[in-house]
Amino acid sequence: MTAKGWTSAVAFALALGVAGEALAQAPACEPAKLATKYPSLAGKTIKFGADPQTPPYTMRDGADFNKIIGADTDLARAVFDCQGIKYEIFLGGWSGLLPATISGQIDVFWNNLYYTAERAKQVDYVLYMQAGTGALTQAGNPKKIGGLDQTCGTTAAAGLGTVEDAALKKEDEKCKAAGKPGVTVMTYPDLAAGIRLVQTGRADIMMTDLAIVESLAIDNPQTYARAFKILTGFTIGAAVKNGNDELLKAIYEGLVAVQASGGQKAIFQKYKIDPDLQVAAEIKKD
Amino acid sequence: MQIWLRRFTGLFSLALILTLMLSACGPDAGTQNTSTLDNLAGGGSITKSGPPPFLLEVWGYFVSGFLWEGAWIAVKITVCAMSAGLLLGLGLALMRLSGLAAVRATAWFYIWVVRGTPQLLQLVFLFDALPELGIKLDPITTAIIGFALNEAAFSAEIIRGGILSVNRNQSIAADSLGMGKFLTLRRIILPQAMRAILPGVSNDTIGMLKLTSIASIVFVNELTFRAQQIVGQNFRFFPVFIAAGAIYLVMTSAISLFQAWLEARYDLETDRTQRKGANLMARLTGGLIGGWDPAPPAEPAPPRAGEDDAPARPMPVPRRQLDEAWLARIAAAADVEAPIGEPFVVARNVQKAYGGREVLAGIDLTVNRGECVVILGPSGSGKSTFLRMINHLEGLDWGEIRVDGHTVGYDYAAGRPRAVRNLAAAKAAARIGMVFQSFNLFGHLTALENVVEAPVRVHGIAPAEAESLARELLSSVGLDAHTEHLPHRLSGGQQQRVAIARALAIKPRLMLFDEPTSALDPELVGEVLNVMRRLAAAGMTMIVVTHEIRFARDVADRVIFMDEGRIIEQGPPEQVIDAPVHERTRRFLRMVEQAGTDDEAMPA
Repeated sequence: MTAKGWTSAVAFALALGVAGEALAQAPACEPAKLATKYPSLAGKTIKFGADPQTPPYTMRDGADFNKIIGADTDLARAVFDCQGIKYEIFLGGWSGLLPATISGQIDVFWNNLYYTAERAKQVDYVLYMQAGTGALTQAGNPKKIGGLDQTCGTTAAAGLGTVEDAALKKEDEKCKAAGKPGVTVMTYPDLAAGIRLVQTGRADIMMTDLAIVESLAIDNPQTYARAFKILTGFTIGAAVKNGNDELLKAIYEGLVAVQASGGQKAIFQKYKIDPDLQVAAEIKKD
Repeated sequence: MQIWLRRFTGLFSLALILTLMLSACGPDAGTQNTSTLDNLAGGGSITKSGPPPFLLEVWGYFVSGFLWEGAWIAVKITVCAMSAGLLLGLGLALMRLSGLAAVRATAWFYIWVVRGTPQLLQLVFLFDALPELGIKLDPITTAIIGFALNEAAFSAEIIRGGILSVNRNQSIAADSLGMGKFLTLRRIILPQAMRAILPGVSNDTIGMLKLTSIASIVFVNELTFRAQQIVGQNFRFFPVFIAAGAIYLVMTSAISLFQAWLEARYDLETDRTQRKGANLMARLTGGLIGGWDPAPPAEPAPPRAGEDDAPARPMPVPRRQLDEAWLARIAAAADVEAPIGEPFVVARNVQKAYGGREVLAGIDLTVNRGECVVILGPSGSGKSTFLRMINHLEGLDWGEIRVDGHTVGYDYAAGRPRAVRNLAAAKAAARIGMVFQSFNLFGHLTALENVVEAPVRVHGIAPAEAESLARELLSSVGLDAHTEHLPHRLSGGQQQRVAIARALAIKPRLMLFDEPTSALDPELVGEVLNVMRRLAAAGMTMIVVTHEIRFARDVADRVIFMDEGRIIEQGPPEQVIDAPVHERTRRFLRMVEQAGTDDEAMPA
């Protein structure tokens, strides 16, 4: 073996050793080490944006409207506290959050944001949750709708431009192609408007994020019920602007620690979200 | 004296109020959840203690501090954005009225773009695109700027409409008094345009207050967005939205009340005496916002029974004669260079054309100091145009007119007459009084205020001194009882006498009368001519365009007959009127005489 070969072998062994040591480290919260671990975040106040009309992810506390609670908000707080990052919440309409993240008006968009390849071109994600779609209906499910394939002839509501909107329109075509009455799709601008459609009976079902549907059905059993659920394969993550790598890393490592301690599942349980929807923290760029 | 003092301090207090308002326009920490306010939300506790009666629940949300904080943000954005937007809108309106095509086009382009694009997109652009240029605006500032820029475009058109609604004779009168463009705008045009502007602006204000909810897209947590958040938390749509609606109704009602109050202030139909001392805002701002806080009369004139109901009554007998000594003092003023009886107004080869049509074809005329010259002539003979060129209300195309040896605001450096830059100051310095056919009194000012306006604002006379002179002048033309009346309360003859007093208040060296009795009912002509007679007797230099042959014969030192832009004949009245040489003069005199006889033959 030449001298050159030896050095290569030593270097390889060293590299393995270092990597092994890093992997062996238990993820832990070290808020005091912020300045050493993520120097660019030291002394900075991170702005994270959310829309407080998206229960159970972000909402006002019914006991004190000045407080913001919810699964996303609590998880974000846990992660930032874990890393010793100072933060403040910026509250705005959901559709304004992504432009504000891209323009740098806010640093993190942490509010029920699905990963899509299109969005990933402009933001980087830390994924933490599997998304599902739920169908909300009136208590007792009067039309006995048990799945998307049973929606022919019904009136169904979905948020304008959402994946649910697209799925319902596709189903409408399928129904008509099969010679059955189609699906009447009603789109709404905000969640509350969609819920009103179900409450007043204008729509038979409303399709939206599963956790929202479940918390509504659990909290208001006299009024609502979950008609069915679909696991769509979408994942949900916190997003930062492309190139904001140190913040992305801090969130990722913080999330790993919070998940390891069972913190995320506890938060999900608190807001009646199925803990099994948790996915292992993962950085995802485009 | 104290009135005037108040008026000046008014400007200062208005500036102070605006500054305070704008200083409150900064970013607001309360929009984020950093607010440390205790929970004032009634709704929260109600949802926990079981469903109360519906109205009680609505009331709970209605008094919720959480919602009112949102309402305050909406109010703050509206007040700040309206203040800034109206200022910008005024600027844009003036640009739209500019004589320069490039300036007009710029304003038009701005209005076209801003009015034609959705406000939501404008807000997102301000908030999310400007950071690319290194400008990072916070949410509240973004909303204020966004709404202000938008309001500027809309209010510019409302303000322009208001300005155009004011009769043009108002600015002509101000021009003749030497008032500059901005002084005229501030003191004469805008106060009268307010009636037309206010309803539109109030609409905009209410619209803006309600529309602030779209600023939730840029993280502004105002009332509607907060209501939606409560609904998003507890899904109690009806009580929450009814309460939010009620809060909006309270705020918009306040705006409507303010509008009604402002409209009453700017309403010329309301009698001034009823308004006096009645309102707080006027006192706070010295009359600048609350309208024109008039000088209270030394002795309040009790309205005489039936006086205002019959404004066309013949004039009351003047209590005393026009102060001949005072007039003589003006006539003999030391700052006039020409000695009495020597050439004072000298016109040489004066030419004027409108769009190729010749109006004046070379007028040569000399008027001596102390002389009263009457110009006669048929309509379209160019006599009124010539008169308006003497005090530069109309520009010269060619030739020159000198008053006491000086041109009135012309520069002959380029060989031909060109208006100097500060024309208003030149006109003021010339001190030429003018009386118009249609009186042209400032419609929003009382008789007294009409008279003191130019001495104080243009000539810098101490307000108290100007006021005492104005009272004397009004008294000497027989109007003691009408000093506090607005022009529309006065008969035509009374208005014309106020107009004469107004022209005299600048201590004129020359008086121009442009058909001063043509718009008057026959029985009112005498009272105006009477005043003019006394002026002439006191030695005032006067040029009078009129059809009153008798006045010309009795009072004029010289009569000029003009036709088709030329002087046809001139000389002493007994020559031109009683023995005219030219056929055209004879024909004109016959016609006027005929018309006069017809008038006299008519039953009164």
